Formats: sequence, structure tokens, C-alpha cells
Amino acid sequence: MRLSNFHFEQVAAILRKDFLIGLRRRATFAAMMMFALTAVASLSLSTGGAFVEPKFLAALLWVVIFFAASAGIAGTFDDEAQAGTLPTLKLYADAQAILFGKMLYVFLSLTMLTIFILPIFLILFDVAVESFLLLSLTILFGLIGIAAAGTLTAAITTSAMVKGGLFPILLFPITLPIFLPAITLTEQSFTGGAFDVSSLIVVAAFDAILILASSILYDYL
Amino acid sequence: MIVFDDVSLSFGRRALFSDVTLTLRGGKVIGVTGANGSGKSTFLKLAGKILRPDGGEVHLPDDKTIAALSPEMKIYDTLTARENISFFTKLRGKTLTAEEIIGLGERVGLDLETFGDVRAENLSTGMSQRLKFAILLSVDADIWLLDEPTANLDDDGRDKIFHEVCGAKADKIILLATNDKAEVALCDEIIQLPL
Amino acid sequence: MNKILILLTFAIGAAIIFFVPPIKGLGEVAKIIFFHVPTAWVSVIAFFASAYFAAKFLRTFNFSFDRLSERAARLGFVFVLLSTISGAIFSKLTWGAYWNWDPRQTTIFVLILIYGAYLTLRAAVSDEKTRAKVSAVYSLLSVLTVPFLVFIIPRMYFSLHPSPVLNSSGRVEMDSIVLVVLIAAVVDATLIFIQLMRREIS
Repeated sequence: MRLSNFHFEQVAAILRKDFLIGLRRRATFAAMMMFALTAVASLSLSTGGAFVEPKFLAALLWVVIFFAASAGIAGTFDDEAQAGTLPTLKLYADAQAILFGKMLYVFLSLTMLTIFILPIFLILFDVAVESFLLLSLTILFGLIGIAAAGTLTAAITTSAMVKGGLFPILLFPITLPIFLPAITLTEQSFTGGAFDVSSLIVVAAFDAILILASSILYDYL
Repeated sequence: MIVFDDVSLSFGRRALFSDVTLTLRGGKVIGVTGANGSGKSTFLKLAGKILRPDGGEVHLPDDKTIAALSPEMKIYDTLTARENISFFTKLRGKTLTAEEIIGLGERVGLDLETFGDVRAENLSTGMSQRLKFAILLSVDADIWLLDEPTANLDDDGRDKIFHEVCGAKADKIILLATNDKAEVALCDEIIQLPL
Repeated sequence: MNKILILLTFAIGAAIIFFVPPIKGLGEVAKIIFFHVPTAWVSVIAFFASAYFAAKFLRTFNFSFDRLSERAARLGFVFVLLSTISGAIFSKLTWGAYWNWDPRQTTIFVLILIYGAYLTLRAAVSDEKTRAKVSAVYSLLSVLTVPFLVFIIPRMYFSLHPSPVLNSSGRVEMDSIVLVVLIAAVVDATLIFIQLMRREIS
């Protein structure tokens, strides 16, 4: 990662610009939030208050986050490509600054998504969380990884002619090393008791690798 | 100085440039002309290293900055005129004051006191072209890539842009892709495509 | 080379049918393991080969590496499907179910997903240069998951996998003839893979 001070200014400018546009064109945010809400509502309605095992609940939570994230971040680069602003941005900003500006924006959007959907999920499924610290850490590390992999995947799918469904297909296999431990950790945060520190370390290490790999590979796109 | 060293590029089976070697020097306006589809815009993109050639290499000093004006390079519709200018200058490490932004607008004949807070999507085609030119001026780059810069502009807009181009050419490399007679007349040297 | 390979394949096939003793308690069909292990091996080799050629492509921008990377992925996809199906049949015979998310079944399933995603991406991008770039990037990104999955998956899923079934004493003894035939089959499958890759170069 070759980021100088100058690049940090660029990253901040791009992040600020994306937020401004995100707030003015609320469609993407709204779609992501509503997707998550619809998914949680439909799952909750269909289980109808029956007891659902914590392991299954943990998996449901991550499935909802994954697909809502896919709906929300697939257009990270594509929206700009459609609007014709991507070439301008690429000319005036450093490639690494674009990648990290977008990655931060994706991460913050996903954080907002989770802040919105998590309480609803916990209430509708009547989940008692034993360890909020573990749940927060798991979600934090999970979202960092999804943001890193998702941003590069969004850059990859921008050039595809057929886009329907392509984004989640590409993103899922490369985020599996996050989901599998994250689901176990989330379950442990619901049930309490001892948790598996090494799983948390694995997720953090994979996050670091994804960020580094995205940085290196983005230059080739 | 931009040097094309044995540059080749093709789209599918169509070879647009094959083994092109040439040197583009600063201090003048270099026109790039040719029929539709002869690769004028592509030539500019190669010169600015926006596009990578299939073969050969384009040499460009590392410290030279590039700015471009092209129908393919849009500005942000949802941002206001002022926000667009501030954003792009920020990317190049500069922060402009409100007066400086208005001054830029005057140079291209765009009243930013009135239209500064209007979103770019609500500007007319000509006004948005003037805004794009203001952005080009604001970033103060060493190399200008101008692709039909005065299309959609009235006489006043043309005069202002021609004036800026002539005034700026001494310490820049300016490439101008065009088939417009008035724009061609502005050029000190012409590269006729295909090469 | 082709003739030798065909001969070798037939010889191994004959050895499996006539010389290898039936695996105790599992019957003749269980000999599908001699098909399953080599195809699984090749699907992993092909996956790394595809990533290797992807890296070569990004370094050189030589499009023949892109074609090799694609070819390895296509072959790998075929092999991984064959391996999964034969594995499922063997699983039915040994554990009574075609699928039970054993660690290795999970790993091979992820491999199917990655191969599938890679080939879908290739199909979705029409511009030749862009397709080569984005698929190489995706190939390298996906290869990063492998060491993590190898570490994570066995801790998450309980294993019943055959490697103990085949060699731990008391269940099924691995005769030297079984071992020799199995190794020969793996070598044969690898050579078939290499031969199919070379057809692309010429």
C-alpha cells in the first residue's frame, strides 16, 4: 500500500463525496436497508415465534447481512461507470486513493446497515445476547472483510455486461473464511460461555490479507 | 515531452495504431484530426496513459500532471457546480476559496454566484461544458487533453476557451482532438490520423 | 504421448477391476475411490495452475497465459464435478449418506463455487482484454481463501473422512497393491491433465 499524506487527503475527499451523493440519492441506502428488513421480516414471519436454535439464528443473521450488503455495494463502482464519472475520477485521483476511499465508504455503509438491522433482528427473534462485546467484535471484523472483498469485487463486476446476480456469486466464495468463523462466534455471543479466540484471530488475519490483496490487485484492473 | 515508442493498439481485430513512434513537445497546441473512428480520442488517452497500449510504451515524465476535457469524462450530477470544482481540486491537493471559485467561473463565462449552488444535473449542456473547463483550469495541470472542447458552446464560450488555451500553451503540452475548423485554426501543429 | 496415456489408463482400469481385492464390506462399487482420489487431486492442482497462469498473465500481459488460466479452470471444473459425484457415491457406501458436510466435502464444494464463479465472470465480460484482467484478478483473490479454509473448515465440521477408513488398521487394510494402483491412478490423472493443457499451447 503506497499511501502518502496527499493520498489520505484524496481518500477523505472521495469518502466525503460518496456520502454527499449517497445522502442525496438515497435509493442505494434505502434499497439496502429495506432488503435487510424484508429478509428479516420474512424469516421471522415464517418461523412464527417458534424456537430457533442459536446456531441457526447466527447463520440467518450473516445470510441477511451478506445479501443486503450485496444489494447495497454491488454498484460501488458501477454507479459511477454508468454516470460516466468513473473515467474522470480515475484521471484526477490516485488509484489506491479511489480503492481505499470506496472501501471506507462501503465499510461505513455496512456499519449503518448493521446498526439498523441488528436490533430489529434481535427483537423479532427474541435473542438474548450474552456477550455484546464478542458480538460487536465479530461484526466489526466481519464487516471489514466484506468491505475489502466487496470493494474489489465491485470493481471487477463493473466491466461485466451481464450483471444480474454476478456480484454475490463472486463475493460469496472469497468471504467464506469470514462467514464460517463469524457464525460460530456469533452463536457463542448468543449462548455465552467460553469463546474461541483463535476464530476471531483468523477473521482479523483474513481481513488484513484481503485489504492487502485488494490494494495490490486493484492496480491491475 | 510525451514520447510514443513503438505503440500499437487494437480493438478486437481492428488495429487502430501499429508501431507508432513520435514525440509531442510542449509550448504549443497540437491538433489531432482525422475521420470519425480514426482514433482521435484514443490517441489522447494513450498520450495521457489513461489507456495502456497493447505493444510498445508511452513515456511521460512522472512529475507531470494531466487534466482532460472529454465527452466521456462526466462530472457529478448530484453535486453542485461549486462542489464539483472543490472536489476535483481537492483531489489535486488544493483548496480554493469562494472568491477563487467565482473567479474561475468568470474566466469561462459561468456566473457561479448565481449557479454555484445549482446541481450539475440542472445546468444546460453548454453551462456544464463551461463548468468542466473551469475544473480543468482549477487543477492547473501540465498536460491538457482536450477532446472537442468547444462542442455545444456558443461564440462567447468558444472565445473564452480559445483565449485560455492560447494563454496557457507556453508552459504546457496541449493536445486537441477535433475536426472543427475554428479549433483546427487554433493549433500550431497538426497530427493527421490514421498514422 | 496420447497413446501411452490411453494404454496406461486402460491398464490401471484393468488392475482396479481384476487385481485389487474388493474393499472389505463395501463391495465392488467402492472401487470408485480409485477414480475419486485422482480427480480430486487434479481439481486442486488445476485450481493452483489457473492462479499461477493468472499471475503470469498480470505480470506479462501475454494473452496465452490467460488462455492457459482459463483452460486450467475449465478442466478443473470438470474434474471437481467428477470428483464430487464419485466422492458422494463412496460416501453413501461408507457412511450411508451422499452428503454430510464433512470437511473435505465442504472444501470441495467451495472449490466448485469458486470455479463456477470464475467461469460465470468470464462469460459475463465480453471485451477480451478486460476479461483477461478481471478473471486473473479474481483467480488470485480466490486462491487466498484456500489456506484459511484448510485451517478453518476442519475445526467447524466433524470429520469422518476416508483417509482413516483406508489405512488405519482394523478397518480396511491398504495393501501394497492398492497403494501402488492408487498412486499410478493419481499420476495417470495428472498426466491426462497436463496433456489436455498442452493441447491448448500447440
